[in-house]
Amino acid sequence: MRVAIAVPTGALLPGGLRMLARARLARLSAAELGRQLLVDRPSVRVILVRPADVPAYVDHGAADLGIVGKDVLWESPGSHYELVDLLFGGCKLVLAVPEESPLAGPETWPPSLRVATKYPHTTASWFEARGQSVEVVRLHGSVELAPLVGLVDGIVDLTATGRTLRENRLRIASVLGESTARLIANQASLKTRTDAVQAVVTRLRDAVDNSQARKAVAGGGRRRAG
Amino acid sequence: MIPQLGGVPGFRDRLPHEADVLREAQESLLAEMRRWGYRHVITPMVESTAVLELGLSADHRRRLFKFTDASGEVVALVGERTVPVARLVAGKLRTAALPLRLCYAGPVLSTDEGRFQQRRESYQVGAELVGAPGVVADAEVIALAARCLEATGLRRYQVDVGHAEFFQGIMDAVKLPDEVKRRVRSALHARDFVALEALLASTSLRSAEHELLLRFPALRGGPEILDAAGGLVRNRRSDRALKELARVRELLVAHGLGAVVSLDLGAIRDFDYYTGIIFEGYGPDLGRPVAQGGRYDGLLARFGRPAPATGFVVQLDLVWEMLTHAARPPALPRVDAAVAWTGAGLETALRLGSTLRLFGMRAIVDTEPRGEAEAQAWWHAVGAANLIHCHSASTTSWTARGRRARRLPPEQVAARLAGSRA
Repeated sequence: MRVAIAVPTGALLPGGLRMLARARLARLSAAELGRQLLVDRPSVRVILVRPADVPAYVDHGAADLGIVGKDVLWESPGSHYELVDLLFGGCKLVLAVPEESPLAGPETWPPSLRVATKYPHTTASWFEARGQSVEVVRLHGSVELAPLVGLVDGIVDLTATGRTLRENRLRIASVLGESTARLIANQASLKTRTDAVQAVVTRLRDAVDNSQARKAVAGGGRRRAG
Repeated sequence: MIPQLGGVPGFRDRLPHEADVLREAQESLLAEMRRWGYRHVITPMVESTAVLELGLSADHRRRLFKFTDASGEVVALVGERTVPVARLVAGKLRTAALPLRLCYAGPVLSTDEGRFQQRRESYQVGAELVGAPGVVADAEVIALAARCLEATGLRRYQVDVGHAEFFQGIMDAVKLPDEVKRRVRSALHARDFVALEALLASTSLRSAEHELLLRFPALRGGPEILDAAGGLVRNRRSDRALKELARVRELLVAHGLGAVVSLDLGAIRDFDYYTGIIFEGYGPDLGRPVAQGGRYDGLLARFGRPAPATGFVVQLDLVWEMLTHAARPPALPRVDAAVAWTGAGLETALRLGSTLRLFGMRAIVDTEPRGEAEAQAWWHAVGAANLIHCHSASTTSWTARGRRARRLPPEQVAARLAGSRA
């Protein structure tokens, strides 16, 4: 049976497909996968799912492996193994506040902070760990708007380049964490289909190492943590 | 107000088919355990939190449903039954000679309704072998677990055997500051190998154990894996673990289970009371282990009766899931006979029902009189194999599915049905 691998729609899709191609597992265009949602190749089956659904597919064993942003894993920890940092799709989860806001580091936070976010669990536990009481307002989109209309003091959101924040006259007050794409594996797949699954993991790991080595030779590339 | 007909979130009703399959699976598990000399015990749904605190980690205690009883004592609904059985062995069974072989079945509860497991109540069947140290006892319990999975009707399964001490030995030997060790443990607990790699890379200290930790999820296979790991291990604790694993494997081959047993040195377990050989059973195409267990030599001492022990639980809900997804799911037990009647036939119908049940058949006797056509409709609604319509003390008409109706005296109908089953 083929090893099933779930790849996310959205920002991580091009990088994920590049990764599969470099590992010589599957050469697929986003358009082709988008049309079919499920594509079989000799050694792998590629499934296209929404980013937040990748852990569900993997934890339930519908996919043996998954490519998923660390930000999704923060929000929905599960029983999967997190195996490889794929080193693409880098972004930060930040606390951003209006430019004119007096809020900066923890010493400037009021006794209770109101924060809007698409990441309620991550946000609540990060502030709790720092002894800060926080009221989390869960929003589903256009989070940048919330502080501008006085709904909240700030937002916790992902940013890659910081452009959206700047356009909405927001600035970064704190960084909650840094996220990249990760390779996760179902716990049972690693055990019941060890050889096939490990072979795919090894090829993806090698693809990451090779591309890092190339970047290092080209100079200025980000070094692998390890 | 409309009552909440769906029940409380996280709790499920078991409808007839599921309930039948579940109960049958539970019966076959307990029957297999009895064949190995394990005696059935029933421990209550409720335990004092003082007792559970002796056995469970803070994390597990947090997930218990807790409340105060009339005397003000805080009690909890059980989340597993190894600790209650330990209480039993140290308490009411303290004069019973060891080793004791005990088994149990029942629901356990957890307040967590995780995103991927929306169940707060699950059914477990377990067995504990208390008072027997050593690899022969370890192998017995693993073999029993394997035979239990077979007894439920699972045809393809495998058992992964590991050792809690292998990891502990590595953590003793690995050259890392205590704070980093703590984070290594928590990364492994979360199965986060990316964090683990970063932690190990951040220290300049190097040892063979680094390599082993990083390869944890891949340290799995046949006996050859023991040699591979043995070459890297330099500490006595891990070394002893490898020797025990080798011996347990040999014993499982003697139990006739060589083909289904693999060794897994990277086994990571959620319960921290395990002290020796640990194992997990996996079925086909299911993302989670269906059985798990291991040796916990420290637990009984906390209840004042030091004794080595090993045991396991089977997750009954997962057995059910696998059976119903199998190529040939278990058949719905069928009602053998629908017994209808008209005015004068009621007594005959009741007598016939008793007779059929005496022969072990499932028979439903109608609660109201029906004519021929209505009886047919009722029969189809009941879904029984046969319709017997009683008209008087001496005449009945018998229809088997797909056959014509035949007029026969009631005794003959009973004899024929009983004959067709035998």
